[in-house]
Amino acid sequence: MTRRRLPAFLRTPLGISGAAGVAVLAVIAVVAPILFEDQATTGKVADAQLPPSAEYWLGTDSLGRDVFARVLVATRLSLELSLAATALCVVAGVVIGVLPVVLGRRLGRLVTAVVDFAVAFPGLLLALFLIVIFGAGSSGAVLAVGLSGAPFFARLTHTLASGIAQRDYIAASRMLRVGPVRLLVRHFLPNVAEPIVLNATIIFASVLQAFAALSFLGLGVQPPSYDWGQLFNEGLARIYVNPGQALGAAAAIVFAGLSFSALGEALSHAAGRRSGQGRRKTESAATAVSPAAERDEFAETSARLRVSGLRVEVLPEGTAESFEAVREVSFEIEAGESVGIVGESGSGKSLTASAIAGLLPTGAYATAGRIDFGGRDLRPLTVSQRAKALGTSISMVFQDPMTALNPSMRVGAQLAEVVQVHEGADRKSAMARAVGRLGQVRIPAPARRARQFPHEMSGGMRQRAVIGIGVMGSPQLIIADEPTTALDVTVQRQVLDLLEQVRADNDASLMLISHDLGVVAQRCQRALVMYGGTIVEELTTDMLRETAAHPYTRALLDCVPEVMSEPGGHLVTIPGTPPEPSAMSEGCPFAARCVSADDRCRSERPRLEAQGRAGHRVACWYPQVMVKADTLVGPGGGGA
Amino acid sequence: MSALELKGLTVSYGKGRRVMTAVDNVDLTIPSGGFLGLVGESGSGKSSLGRAVAGLAPVTSGQILVDGAPLARRSLFGRTAQPVQMIFQDPSGSLDPRMTVGASIAEGVAAGGARGGRADRSAEVRRLLELVSLDPRHATSLPSRLSGGQRQRVALARALASAPSLLVADEITSALDVSVQGSVLNVVREAVATLNITTLFISHNLAVVTAMCDEIAVMYAGRIVEKAPTAELVSRPRHPYTRALLDAVPSLRRPAPRADAKVLDTEPPDPFHLPAGCPFNPRCPAGPGVHADRQICTERRPQFVELNARHLAACHFPGAVTHDTVERSAHANASLPT
Repeated sequence: MTRRRLPAFLRTPLGISGAAGVAVLAVIAVVAPILFEDQATTGKVADAQLPPSAEYWLGTDSLGRDVFARVLVATRLSLELSLAATALCVVAGVVIGVLPVVLGRRLGRLVTAVVDFAVAFPGLLLALFLIVIFGAGSSGAVLAVGLSGAPFFARLTHTLASGIAQRDYIAASRMLRVGPVRLLVRHFLPNVAEPIVLNATIIFASVLQAFAALSFLGLGVQPPSYDWGQLFNEGLARIYVNPGQALGAAAAIVFAGLSFSALGEALSHAAGRRSGQGRRKTESAATAVSPAAERDEFAETSARLRVSGLRVEVLPEGTAESFEAVREVSFEIEAGESVGIVGESGSGKSLTASAIAGLLPTGAYATAGRIDFGGRDLRPLTVSQRAKALGTSISMVFQDPMTALNPSMRVGAQLAEVVQVHEGADRKSAMARAVGRLGQVRIPAPARRARQFPHEMSGGMRQRAVIGIGVMGSPQLIIADEPTTALDVTVQRQVLDLLEQVRADNDASLMLISHDLGVVAQRCQRALVMYGGTIVEELTTDMLRETAAHPYTRALLDCVPEVMSEPGGHLVTIPGTPPEPSAMSEGCPFAARCVSADDRCRSERPRLEAQGRAGHRVACWYPQVMVKADTLVGPGGGGA
Repeated sequence: MSALELKGLTVSYGKGRRVMTAVDNVDLTIPSGGFLGLVGESGSGKSSLGRAVAGLAPVTSGQILVDGAPLARRSLFGRTAQPVQMIFQDPSGSLDPRMTVGASIAEGVAAGGARGGRADRSAEVRRLLELVSLDPRHATSLPSRLSGGQRQRVALARALASAPSLLVADEITSALDVSVQGSVLNVVREAVATLNITTLFISHNLAVVTAMCDEIAVMYAGRIVEKAPTAELVSRPRHPYTRALLDAVPSLRRPAPRADAKVLDTEPPDPFHLPAGCPFNPRCPAGPGVHADRQICTERRPQFVELNARHLAACHFPGAVTHDTVERSAHANASLPT
């Protein structure tokens, strides 16, 4: 699929109609005064006050001028004035909005207070007030409407700028003593531009209406000039003689308002989606079964979880090309076993876990393979089927406990909800059980803590609460995705202890995903090492230091920093960067960074094959049989 | 190039009853060209201390002296860069997303007071990119084109561009994969050694700190609780908190330590309501939770005790070395690079 795609905002009905409407208006604004100027300004007195007819579509006014032509010609002035007012509104707003950044703290606070006060004042009322000062007429109305909208933009700019002011790159520039003007021009304005422009498009519609309203009240455009509002005003007085004029002007105002609103909405929607998540992939791809999975006929096994030939495809938003982020992943987890999945970011470890938990992000799809849990393939199930089949038997612990908890709900209620929904328990007994579970996950004073909101707890406490939610039911598999990455080392240890305890108490299996080989080595019985979307090595953790055979595993082992009693040792790194999942080669994914790679590695992908001792599988053409860490990587670090 | 001295540095936020003292009366010295590691949990005040040194956090009281002279307060329209520069944790937030790498670094070059035209400046940008082991062609890239490790190296290049005499590195690798962590840390250490810049290296990971720093200070609840040369601290930690931190480092060489059921299972203290006496006492394996007779820990805050010329610890019962520690120092010695 290489055909060029339309901009995202044009792919929705809203965007298409908005853009078309605006285009029509623009053409009319340019063309109409050239073509219809005569009919609009000179009329025959004999033709005055005619109702709509074939000759005069909207009839004529008291001087016999063609109302339809007047409505068309008025487009230019109406749009021009609205444009000028919007521009004034944005410029004044942005200038006032960034003032607090440039001025000191005290003056800045004063400006913010004034802006807040002005925002609280109804916009049209402010415009009416200002027009008294500036005087009725076109320029007065532009100033009034423009300035009355300025507080809104000032507030918006101020909010955006305060967000940017917190960013580290602003702090870095401050340390370099970059001047306030340059700070504004180089750092603030480019980063606030997009939302400001979007809002300007949306606000344009209201400015247009505000103008129409002012002209209608006789405070805006003065005769002999005319815009839609003024035409509407004239027309309304004669609505029983000729309804055409009032209706025509009103239709123009509504049409323009709707077109600009629709375009603005579509634009901002597209902008929001660009930074957000992608679309769903088509169903057809999702039901394809890979040859490997077909070949691998499902045998009776004692394993609690059995994943075979799993593939996950990702379709990033705004692109037509999807890529495989997880390729042919197969492994088993026995009852009561704890297995660690290790890999760098982008290795596919989290997507694998999400696929098992049925929590793949939008735009990611498990396209092939089987996920057998308790004798049933979970992959093709829908969300509700999964919920029915699984109940609470798979529980998930995330890296950031704040995202796993509802910030506006008390922690106890969130635990209680699990049994209320899945087991139909009543509120009181569910709550009692929640408090009990909070105690089990070693949260001190559980009854008091249950009444707290997540933000009142520390990171470690929240993670315990999430684990507590996981054990409210009767989990058989606990999937913990980087559960301690956001926590301090001392707290990390407690949370890992807790996971181990919870696993043992429930006779559950634990799947621990981590980028830290040290954590996996200490906490799991087996390790799966993932790289470039595939498992490159599978082994027991006690084999890890001596028998790891894949060059990537060995290199990763050397990267784990250990406490040293003498500084200065060269820290080991793996040269190069992980491969882009979207540009994966045919060969071994690690070939580009591997010191012992040759042509075969670059052209032919090694399969995961059994190696030496039981439980050891490795996907490498040249597995390292001997421990020779020093020949793989630089001096220092490992192999003590 | 310059010695850094903190005298009674206090940083607090908020007013009235909601005042929170992040850094509490800290005295600390880094000799000229020294590389000091500052470790502690989140909320211990280590980042606030670093930001205060970099002029990014308000100093409530106390002094920051660079070569004996107080660090000039930030003036709004000052022309040249301050002598202290800082690198931050988040590689995605540390560079302006709308500015090319070269432009970001050039901002630092200009702020360093460099004279000369556009050509000189871009030559300097190229030199800095090479200094941090990046391809000079990256100068025209936007940060979004770079990996996290590369971005952190650009951030280092920008910090070095203004020729600072002091560098604060705040958790610069905690957002990076372990496989690229070393590439950033090696570059930092080499650059700092080449340019002889005094460095304050902040991290929660003791393993990283021991590999990088000559000297380590351990911070807890806003105060320094132990300070010693790296070898000394690792082999003979005297404060129980230091020992807990050392034990908590995940390692391939040791099995997971089992937490003592009685202690070290409570959360870090609430900074608004610090425990009376030694703030570590509810979590302390050598404190009143285990030894009932040690009530002094809940009554008096321990002062810094000089154990030897360079080893200081703020503990009522320093140096209660357990078998755990002895075992680790054996490990540590075994892992010495040969």
